[in-house]
Amino acid sequence: MVQIYQDYKDHVDFLTVYVREAHPTDEWQMKSNVKEDVCYAQPKTLEQRVAIANDFVKRFNYPTQFGIDDMSNAANDAYAAWPERIYIIEQGRIAYRGGMGPFNYHPEEARTWLAARYGEVKHEASTATPETKRN
Amino acid sequence: MLKWVGVTVAVLIVAVVIGLSVMAGGLRGAYGMVRYALPHMHRGTLRVGDHAPDASLLALDGSSRFNIRERTGAKPLVIVFGSYT
Repeated sequence: MVQIYQDYKDHVDFLTVYVREAHPTDEWQMKSNVKEDVCYAQPKTLEQRVAIANDFVKRFNYPTQFGIDDMSNAANDAYAAWPERIYIIEQGRIAYRGGMGPFNYHPEEARTWLAARYGEVKHEASTATPETKRN
Repeated sequence: MLKWVGVTVAVLIVAVVIGLSVMAGGLRGAYGMVRYALPHMHRGTLRVGDHAPDASLLALDGSSRFNIRERTGAKPLVIVFGSYT
């Protein structure tokens, strides 16, 4: 997503919303989380969510606007967002609805939407940054 | 008859367990998916063209708040939902 942000930030706004953890240590932890040293228990308080979100932003120098969902999971519920999902809103309406992650989470679809609207951004093979699943 | 129903159910259960294990990378993963993921996964009812729901979000500073609607202006807004893990 960061590469998409870099390519289209002059045309559209980006907002990343932190929702409940997908693979916390006290639930369904993945081996890859241990390998990458991303080990957090499911937050029980909003302060814990804020701390994890800040860890994420600092570790990846994440550039987009960032918001944190309440413990009531209001944003998550409204958008059926968990564990990961992309939407594009235009003039107050849903213009693109991405699939539900992880199996149907395809940032390249959002890129296709943006490319159709603002033109394709091509990268040299040697400098291209691979799209990552992680937000 | 009852015997065959039982056999069919057993075969279906085994098939589901195997399928989930393949998807989740093992039996433990299959359990995690069923126990923790499936209850929270919802396809949702939003469709392209629907009004975008609003919600209040907390900023990274942990004190200020804003609404999604406040960030939808003249430009389209790409919203990415996710977590760290």
